Amino acid sequence: MTAPESVADTERPAGIITRGLAAIVDLLVVLVIMSALYGGLVLVRLVYSPAAFSLPSLNVVFSTVVTFVVAVVYLAGCWAVSGSTAGAVMMGLRVVGRRSQRVSLVVGLLRAIGCVLFPIGLLWVVIDPRRRSLQDIVFRTRVIYSRPLAA
Amino acid sequence: MVGTDVDLLKHPVVSAAVGTAAVAVGAAGAAYRVAEKVAVFGPLMRRSVAGLSEQGDRWLTQSADQIKALVAAVAVGLVDLVLDEMDLNALVRERVDIDALAADIDIDAIINRIDLITLADKVIDGVDLPAIIRESTNSMTAEVMTDVRTQGERADDVVAGIVSRMLGRDRESR
Repeated sequence: MTAPESVADTERPAGIITRGLAAIVDLLVVLVIMSALYGGLVLVRLVYSPAAFSLPSLNVVFSTVVTFVVAVVYLAGCWAVSGSTAGAVMMGLRVVGRRSQRVSLVVGLLRAIGCVLFPIGLLWVVIDPRRRSLQDIVFRTRVIYSRPLAA
Repeated sequence: MVGTDVDLLKHPVVSAAVGTAAVAVGAAGAAYRVAEKVAVFGPLMRRSVAGLSEQGDRWLTQSADQIKALVAAVAVGLVDLVLDEMDLNALVRERVDIDALAADIDIDAIINRIDLITLADKVIDGVDLPAIIRESTNSMTAEVMTDVRTQGERADDVVAGIVSRMLGRDRESR
């Protein structure tokens, strides 16, 4: 187990406060991405039919699906690439496999789907003696404290 | 220097010398006037005196420039010598009220003559301001982030401790 040079991993699992705050930050990031997508859509419509322009009112199902996809791709991508989403970087957390240092893309995707569909599973961290969420138990992952090393 | 505190002009020796000289000049003038009136000797002497003064005039006009140059050279050498002997800085410090001079300086006029904007540009060019701002912002952000992470970790532990106590969990089993 060799940690990346820029971060100092601990073996301590992270608790509910840091993980909850990280989740909130990630939720904000997803919302920002969605706003950007909506803004892009508005601009495209403005370009193609400037005369008959009105703010698009979107189908609820469509919006939900897009939000779901964006959230899952964002979370899975971050976990598979670095182990940390934006919120996790802020709070100094990292998602790792039970033995490996990195979550595979498939596990990441499945865990992301689980997290988005059932966010309440995070609360299990409070009760679990090893501070695992339900998703962690199912997909055999851990969330540990991981500080970027001072330059 | 001896006797600098004695007023030279009022010294009896000087007075006596000046008196003697005055008497001598007066006597010489009187003697000359008398000699002039002597029949044969008078015109002869007058002529020779006129020739003498004419020669003196000529000599003076011819060599006046040379004398001037000589005097100037001597004076310059003398002043140089004197200046070499004196510590002018100490002299100025002792004799000149520099504070009063400085108070009289019109600083506004000097500042008006300086192109302050160009000067400021030059100073700013010399200081790598963006690097300083970047550095301080970076270290500040890093500090805040470290603080947030540490506080979060501590809060995690507090929550875990409370839950453990509520559930009656043994601390060692964790």
